[in-house]
Parts: sequence; C-alpha cells; structure tokens
Amino acid sequence: MSIMELNGGSVIAMVGKDCVAIASDLRLGNQALSISSNFQKIFPVTDRIYIGLPGLASDVATLRERFRLRVNMYTIKEERELEPETFAHLVSSTLYEKRFSPYFVEPVVAGLSKLPTSTPESPKFKPFICGTDLIGCLNFAKDFIVCGTASEKLFGVAEGLWEPDLEPEDLFETISQTLLNAVDRDAFSGWGAVVHVLTPDKVITRTLRGRMD
Amino acid sequence: MPQQRQFNPYSENGGTILAIAGADFAVVAGDTRQSEGYSIQTRYAPKVFRLTDKAVLAVNGFAADGNILVKTVKQRLEWYRHAHAKDMPLRAIARLIQTILYAKRFFPYYVYNILGGIEEDGTGAVYSFDPVGSYEREACRAAGAAQALVQPFLDNQIYFKNQKPKPGQSHPTHLPLDHVLSLVIDSFTSATERHIEVGDGLEIYVVLARGHSAQGLSNIPGAQEISQTDEGERVFVVRRDLKKD
Repeated sequence: MSIMELNGGSVIAMVGKDCVAIASDLRLGNQALSISSNFQKIFPVTDRIYIGLPGLASDVATLRERFRLRVNMYTIKEERELEPETFAHLVSSTLYEKRFSPYFVEPVVAGLSKLPTSTPESPKFKPFICGTDLIGCLNFAKDFIVCGTASEKLFGVAEGLWEPDLEPEDLFETISQTLLNAVDRDAFSGWGAVVHVLTPDKVITRTLRGRMD
Repeated sequence: MPQQRQFNPYSENGGTILAIAGADFAVVAGDTRQSEGYSIQTRYAPKVFRLTDKAVLAVNGFAADGNILVKTVKQRLEWYRHAHAKDMPLRAIARLIQTILYAKRFFPYYVYNILGGIEEDGTGAVYSFDPVGSYEREACRAAGAAQALVQPFLDNQIYFKNQKPKPGQSHPTHLPLDHVLSLVIDSFTSATERHIEVGDGLEIYVVLARGHSAQGLSNIPGAQEISQTDEGERVFVVRRDLKKD
C-alpha cells in the first residue's frame, strides 16, 4: 500500500503571459473507495500566492496550518508581504525538517512575484511556479509542474497542450483540459476539479464538474 | 544454508507504440529505441511490421517474445496465402493473433499488440490486444512505456473528451490523415521529452484504402511507399528522428 495513493488526488500549475494557473481535482478517497467530492487541496497563502498539496489528507491539513503559522510569523516580523520565491524556500525547509519522518505531500506553489522595477503606482509582476518532492527538494520549472497520483498522465497531456505566453483565458482552458483528461485516466483522482488563474489585478476561481465516476 | 536459484524468462524493453484509425486509412507508429533498465541496447529496433498489403502490426513489451510472435504470425499468414490464394482479411488476422496469444495463456508472450489496417469493407481499423489475447476494435490506442502519457492526450484530441462542440455542430468521428499524422508526431515528441525509454527514432506506417489519395502525406518529408495492391491499397512508411538523450 502506497501512502501517496491512500487518499489520491493531483495538482498542476502552469505559467502564462503575466499570469499563472493552479488546479487540482476534488477527490478524497480511502484507497479505492471515494469519500468526498469536495476536498480542497489548493489554499491561498497571500493575495498572490497559492499552494497545492496533493498527498496524504491528514498531512494536507497539518501542513496548511503550519504554513499559515509560518507565513503569519514572517509577515509580522518583516512587516512586508511575502514573495513566492521566499515562500517556496519556506515550504522546502519546513519539509526538510522532517527529512527522516516526512510529510507525505508534494507541494506545488504558484504565484506572481513583484519585480524590482515595480512601484505602488504601476505594479509589475513576474509569474512564478515551483514544485517540491515530499522532503522539500525544489523544482523551479519554467513551463508547468505536475504532482499527485495522476502525475504521469498530467505530464503527457501538459507536454502536448501547453505553449508559452498564454493569455489568462487560454491558460484556463489549457490547464482545465490537461487536468480533466489526465484525471479521467486515473482511478485515484477526479470527482470534479477547481482552477485558479492568478493575474496582476484579480484571481479567477472556477469549479469544474468533469466526469463524476 | 538453503540456496535458491531462479531463472527469469522475461524482461521489459521499453518503447511505445500508437495506432489511429481514420475513415479509410490507418496509421500505426512506434519509436525505435530498445532498452533494458537504464541501458540502451540499440537505437534502431523496429516495433512496427507490415504483415500484408493492408495490415500492419505493432508489438511492444518483451522484444524477444515480440519478434517470435511476429515471425509466427507472418508464417501463419503465408500458409493462409498458399491455401486460399489471397491475403487474410484484417479481422481474421485479429482473431488469429488472439488464438496465438491465448495458446500461451499460462506462459504468455509478454507483449502488447496493436494491429492496424484496412477492413474488407474499406474502412480503417485498429485492434488492440492484451498479452493473453483479449482484443477490441477501436479508433485509437497507445501502448507501452509511455501509454500513460499518450493515451489521455489522444482521448482529448481524437475522441474530443471533455470538449463541447459549438452549438449546432458535432465532433468528427474520424480525422483527416494530415491531422492524424501531426498528432502522432506530437505524441511521440512529448513522450520523448518526458520518458527516458522513448526516443531515438520514429517509424510511422500509413495504410491507405483504395481510392484514398496520398494528399495528407505531401507535407510530411521522406514518406516512402512500401507496397501497392492491384486493387489500390497502399502502404507508406515515414521515418523521423526523435531526441537521442
């Protein structure tokens, strides 16, 4: 029995033109038995950072709270907003602390990071995505990150559908089609999906139904 | 101390195969890398074989078993020609492969087979098999090391899964040849990018039914005609390079 396959679930993040998208399925299972079709695996960290946590459901809940604590501590101490790159390293060190009794979660971070040339009058952002393994080894990909039980399928479809510099609506379509078609070939993922597209001025969140079997 | 010895008769040689049926053609493709573990044994070991003027077989899994299987099938087809003075029809070849595979039910040929070609009624067909001969006629199928990468992509692009047609319109049941060929090439370049057992070369066999022009092959460089029947079925092969790393 694989612990990563106990509850199932998958997450994907993609880079677009001045935007990023992160999406996951909504299944929570106990091995082959599906328990819930509304189990959220993606959480907002700041207005411009989202984190996806596919893996063991109890560790998803634990880590969400741990990250909330550490992000709040950072914001209070530093008196400034957390950047996605910083958060990625926070995720990495949190996981590596448990090097020999790890959290069974492979996080995906998606965000927009503030450029040095950015001013309060004209803010400028750069899309950022990153993934880690369960002990926090960072992977800064320039195109897309896939994680979870459907990762192999996600790789195949994403490699075929993704292209550089997609506008927010096209990026939404690409990430949705990639996720939906990948989880339809995975027994441990599916049962609906949620997609977040982060743009400089808003976050678009949509829930997709997909095949509910 | 008790000692145990074991002989393992099977091995897994990587690679991926793929076949798509059109209305009046079939495309059967496979990469040419053959590997064992992390080692590449050869960069050119064909996995796709022409059986008759309108049937092509792709074999993936344990290469030794695959080669013997193809040899057996070809021999049975020759015997059929001698007995009946004609080529065996595609659906009969499919059933023949089932009986050959199931004859070894308890010591199977460790191979996944995909048979593509032209049916007696002139339609393009793809038959896919499991190692013990269970088979099914389909419009498209991927098998082998990168099946998990390619099949969901095909579900989306061939069967239009999770896509809604424009109001008043419907999705096509069969795609034109040039479109199918570009999907095959995209599938293999994607699989090569993300799977270590896929790469080196790509062999695409195209079987055209009588009356089908080779129009879709015109923008694919290096298409080579292999055979042609008096009735007009034609078989082409396209060879392309894939990344070697």
